[in-house]
Amino acid sequence: MSNLTLFSVSDLLVTVLLTAIASIFPEPIRGWLTNPDLLLGLACLVFGALLLAASMLNTILLIWWERKLLGRFMDRRGAMHVGFAGLLQNFADGFKLFKKDTVQPREADALGFYAGPTIYMVTSLVLFGILPISSGWNSGALPLTLLLALAVFSFAPLFIFVSAWSSNNKYSLMGGMRSAAQMIAYEVPLLLAVVAVVIVAGSFDLTTIVYEQQNYWFWGPLFLALLVFVAGMLAEMERIPFDLPEAEAELVEGWNTEYGGMLFAFFMLADYLRALVGSILVVLLFLGGWTLPTWVPAAFTSFPLAGIFWFMVKTYLVFGLFVWIRASLPRVRTDQLLRVGWNRMIPLSLLSVFLAAVLVTAKCLPVFGCVPSPGG
Amino acid sequence: MSEMWINMGPQHPMTHGLWNLRVKIEGELILDVDPEMGYLHRGIEKISEDRHYNEVITLMDRTCYVAGLAWEHLYILAAEDALHITPPERAEYLRTMCDEFQRVGSHIMWYAAFVQDLGLMSPFLYGMRDRDLVLDLFQSYTGARMTYEYMRVGGVRSDLPLGFTDRARRVLDWLTARFVEYDQLCLGSAIFRKRCDGLGVLKATDCVEHGVTGPMLRSAGMKRDLRRDRPYAVYDQLDFDVAVADGADVTARYLVRMEELRQSVRMLRQILDWLDRHPGPAMAEELPRWLGAPYAPVGKEGYLLKRNYPKGVGFSSVEEPHGEAQAYVVNEGTEHPYRVKFRSPVFANISAARQYLVGYHVADIPPIMGSVDVCVGEVDR
Amino acid sequence: MGGAVEAKEKPNENPILWVARPMATAAKQFAKSLVRPSTIVYPFERLEDPKFRGKVAVESGRPIGVGEVWDNYRGVHALNIATCISCNLCAFSCPDLCIDMVTVPGGDPKHPKKCPQIDYGKCSYCGFCSDACPEGCLTMTTRYELSVTKRADMVYSPERLHEVFRSKLPMNPIRLARPENEDAILLDPPLCIGCNACARDCPTQCITMLDVPKPDAKPGEKLPKRIWKEPVVNDSDCVRCGTCISVCPKECLFWGTRK
Repeated sequence: MSNLTLFSVSDLLVTVLLTAIASIFPEPIRGWLTNPDLLLGLACLVFGALLLAASMLNTILLIWWERKLLGRFMDRRGAMHVGFAGLLQNFADGFKLFKKDTVQPREADALGFYAGPTIYMVTSLVLFGILPISSGWNSGALPLTLLLALAVFSFAPLFIFVSAWSSNNKYSLMGGMRSAAQMIAYEVPLLLAVVAVVIVAGSFDLTTIVYEQQNYWFWGPLFLALLVFVAGMLAEMERIPFDLPEAEAELVEGWNTEYGGMLFAFFMLADYLRALVGSILVVLLFLGGWTLPTWVPAAFTSFPLAGIFWFMVKTYLVFGLFVWIRASLPRVRTDQLLRVGWNRMIPLSLLSVFLAAVLVTAKCLPVFGCVPSPGG
Repeated sequence: MSEMWINMGPQHPMTHGLWNLRVKIEGELILDVDPEMGYLHRGIEKISEDRHYNEVITLMDRTCYVAGLAWEHLYILAAEDALHITPPERAEYLRTMCDEFQRVGSHIMWYAAFVQDLGLMSPFLYGMRDRDLVLDLFQSYTGARMTYEYMRVGGVRSDLPLGFTDRARRVLDWLTARFVEYDQLCLGSAIFRKRCDGLGVLKATDCVEHGVTGPMLRSAGMKRDLRRDRPYAVYDQLDFDVAVADGADVTARYLVRMEELRQSVRMLRQILDWLDRHPGPAMAEELPRWLGAPYAPVGKEGYLLKRNYPKGVGFSSVEEPHGEAQAYVVNEGTEHPYRVKFRSPVFANISAARQYLVGYHVADIPPIMGSVDVCVGEVDR
Repeated sequence: MGGAVEAKEKPNENPILWVARPMATAAKQFAKSLVRPSTIVYPFERLEDPKFRGKVAVESGRPIGVGEVWDNYRGVHALNIATCISCNLCAFSCPDLCIDMVTVPGGDPKHPKKCPQIDYGKCSYCGFCSDACPEGCLTMTTRYELSVTKRADMVYSPERLHEVFRSKLPMNPIRLARPENEDAILLDPPLCIGCNACARDCPTQCITMLDVPKPDAKPGEKLPKRIWKEPVVNDSDCVRCGTCISVCPKECLFWGTRK
C-alpha cells in the first residue's frame, strides 16, 4: 500500500490511457505518444488536476465540518437541507458566488485588485503539492518540505495587503495593515516552535518528521511548542480569536470588504485552504501524521488507505479544536495581539526550543521513551 | 497613516440600527467622534397627535423595538395622567410584570448583540434562544412576539391566560441557570476581560452633565433608579435592589445589566405570586365612552366637542431598560392628544459618545457602543 | 426594598483557567445540543405543532411547550360574513386605515351588505378591529404565513377572509368586555325632521321611528316642515357604531349618557 501515491496513480492512469490510444495509431505516432517525457508531463498535469480536485473537495468538506460543528456549539443545526446533512450546501453557495458579478470599485487599482486574491489562492494551493498525506506520498522528492511549506504559507500577508490597498477603501486598508502586522508578528514564534520540532526530529523533511514520531508523538514532550504553534496558526489563519483583520464588528469585512462574487469566493476558499494546511501541519508535526501508536490493534491500521484515513481523521479533529476555540472566545484587540505576539509568544517559543534541545541532549524521557537518534 | 474620518454607519455592523458614527482616526487611535442620528426618524410624536389615545400604543411598540412594552407603559402612564384615569391594581401589576419581562428580554438581547460585537458568536445565539422564551410568554398573553399592543388607557387589553404564572416561573428558573453560563462565557474569559476592562470610561459627573441615565449611570457608581427613587406602578410594593458598579467601564456596565437581570427575576417572582393571589379586573370600569374598545365615528362636528371632557397634562418617567424615558401628553379635551413628546434615554447616551470614545482604539468602538445598548428606534422616534 | 447591591466582579482567577472556562461552557452546550439543538426546523416543524405542546422541555431545551402559548396569536383575520352586520366599526378603529368596507353579494339591493376587506400590506396586526367588532365575526387567527408574489394578493377580500374563517384555525379568544357606562345615542328633538335615515341605515335595526304628536300651531307661528316621527334607540341592541350619527342630515343625534 505504501507505494500508492497520488502521483503513481496519475502516472498509471496516463500510461494506460495513452498506451491504449497509441495502439490504434501506426508506428511513428505510436512512438511519439508513448514517449516517456510526454508521459511524465501528462502525468504531472493529471497529478495537478487530481490534487486540485482533492484539496478543493477537502476544503469544501472542511467548511461543511465547521458549519456543522459550530452549529452544535451554538445550539443550532448548521446546514442541513442541501444534500445529505447539508453536504452540498457549500457547492450551492459556491455556485451562487460564481454566478455573481465581480464589482470593481471605480478608484481601485485593477492589477492589485485582481492579482491579490488570485495569488493568495494559488499560494495556498501550492502547499498541497508539498504536504505528505501518507507514507510514500512524496518521500524523497524534496528534502526541505517543511521549510518550503512554511515559506509558501507566509506569502499570504503580502498579497492580502496588496489587495487591501488596491481596493481603495479605508476599512480594507486598515484590515490589510492589521493583517500584515499580525502575520509578521506571529510568523516568528510559529517558526521558532517549528524549530523545536526540527531539533527533536533532526530533519526538515515532513515525512521524516512523521517517522521520527513512531515512539511517541511530539505533542507530549513539545507541548509548549504545540501551544505556541496552534496560537500562531490561529493568527496566521485569521480565525477567532485572532481574526481582527476582518473583524466584522468594526471593519465591516476587513481587507475583503470590497470583494464580491468569485473574488470573494477565492478569499474564502483560500482562507479555508490555509486552515486545512494549518491543521495538517499540526497533525504532521505534533500528532504523528498518518501513523497510529503501536499499541493500536493492527486491524485499525492495515486496511487499504488506512494512512490517509487516519490522517484525515486527525486533521478534522484538529480543525474541530479550532472551531471550538472560535465558538467560545472573543476577538482580541490589535495592540493586545501584537503585545502578546512579541512579548509572550516569542519568549515562550524560545523556551520551547530550549526544552527541545534539553530533550535531545537527555535522549530519554521517563514517560515518553527515547528520542531516536537525530537524522535517524 | 495620517488622520482621516471614517463613517461607521449608517450601514455598518457596529451600529445596530440606522445611525452614523463619524470617527476621526489616526492609525488605530480615535481622535474625535461625531454621532449622527436621524436616519430612522418616523415622526412618531407628530403622528400621535392624529390618533386616538389608544391608537398611539401601536406606535410605541415601534418606537423601541426591543422594549416595546416599556414604552407602552411610559405612554400609558402619561396618558392616564392627562386623562385623569386610574387603572385597577391588577392592571398595574400586569404592567409591572410586562416591564420587568421586557427588561429581561431587552437585557438578554443586549447581551447577545454586545458579545457578538466582540466576535463571540455562540453567546449571541444563546442569548437569542433564551430571549425567545420571554417572547413566547409575551405571545401567550399579548398575542404578538414583538408588537404587543397590550396596554390600554385604563388597564390592559386582556388578563393572563390559564397556567401562565406556572409557565413564567419555569422560564425564570431556566433563565436563572442561563445567567450563570453567560457569566462563564464572558467574565470567565481572559480575553473578554482584556477587551472590556477600563474601556469607555464615563464618570458619574460626566454622566450627569450629559444626561446619561440607566445602566450606564449606575455603572459609574451612582445609585439612581426611577423604580426606587420615584416609584411608578407598583414598584414601591416590590422588594428589589438597585444594581450599581463602580468601574464606569464596559465591564461595569456588563455587571450592572447582569445584576439587573437577576433583580428582575426576583421582582417577577413576587409579581407572579401576587397575581396568583389577587384575581380582579384588568381594566378600569369608569372609562370615558370614547376610550372604550369600539371607536365610533366622530359626528359631523366631532362629538367630543359636546363632551367637555376635563383637560389635562400628563407626564411620566419610566426606568426603561436603556435608561430613563419620559413622556409628556397634553389633553385638550378632544379624542386625540394635542401634543405628545418623548425623551429617549439612548439619545442622551449616544450623544455623549465623544466623552467615552476619544482616546481608545478603533477596535474598542464596537464593545463600547455595544455596552451603551443603542436602540435607534427610540433615538430618532 | 430600595437597597443597592454592588454588582461585584468575580475574584481574579488563574489566567489559564480564564480561557478554559468559556471553552468548557461551550463544550457543555455542544454535548447538550448533540442530542437535539433548540432549533425548531421551521418549514418542517412548526411552533404550533401538537408535538410541541407541553413536552418540548425534553426535546429542545425549552422550558415551556411552545405550542401552549400559541392560541392568542394575532395573525390573519377570519371573517364570518354571515354574521357581519356592516357596522363599520372595524374600519373606524383601524389605526392604519387598511380596512375598506366593500360590497358583498347577499344584501338587499337598496342597502348592499358591506364587509371588511383588509390590506395586509398596511395591517399592523394590532387587533383593534377584532376588539371593536360587536358581533364577534371579525377575529384574528393564528395564521401567520402571508408571503405572496403580487402586491395585489396582499389585499384580502371578505370572501378570502371568510375562507380563513372556514379553515377552523384557532381564533384569538381575547374579547374586550364592553364598558359599563357606555354612552348611548341621544336625540336633540327640535332638530329632528323624522327623515328615517338613521333607522334605515342602522345595521342592527335597533332604531324604530315612533310617531310624535304634531303640535298645534300657535297663531303666527309656522310649524317646521317635517315628518312627525322620531327615532327611538333600543340601547341593548345598539352596538354604538355611530352610523346613525354619520347619516343624520340635521346633526340631531349625538353621544351622551342616558339619564
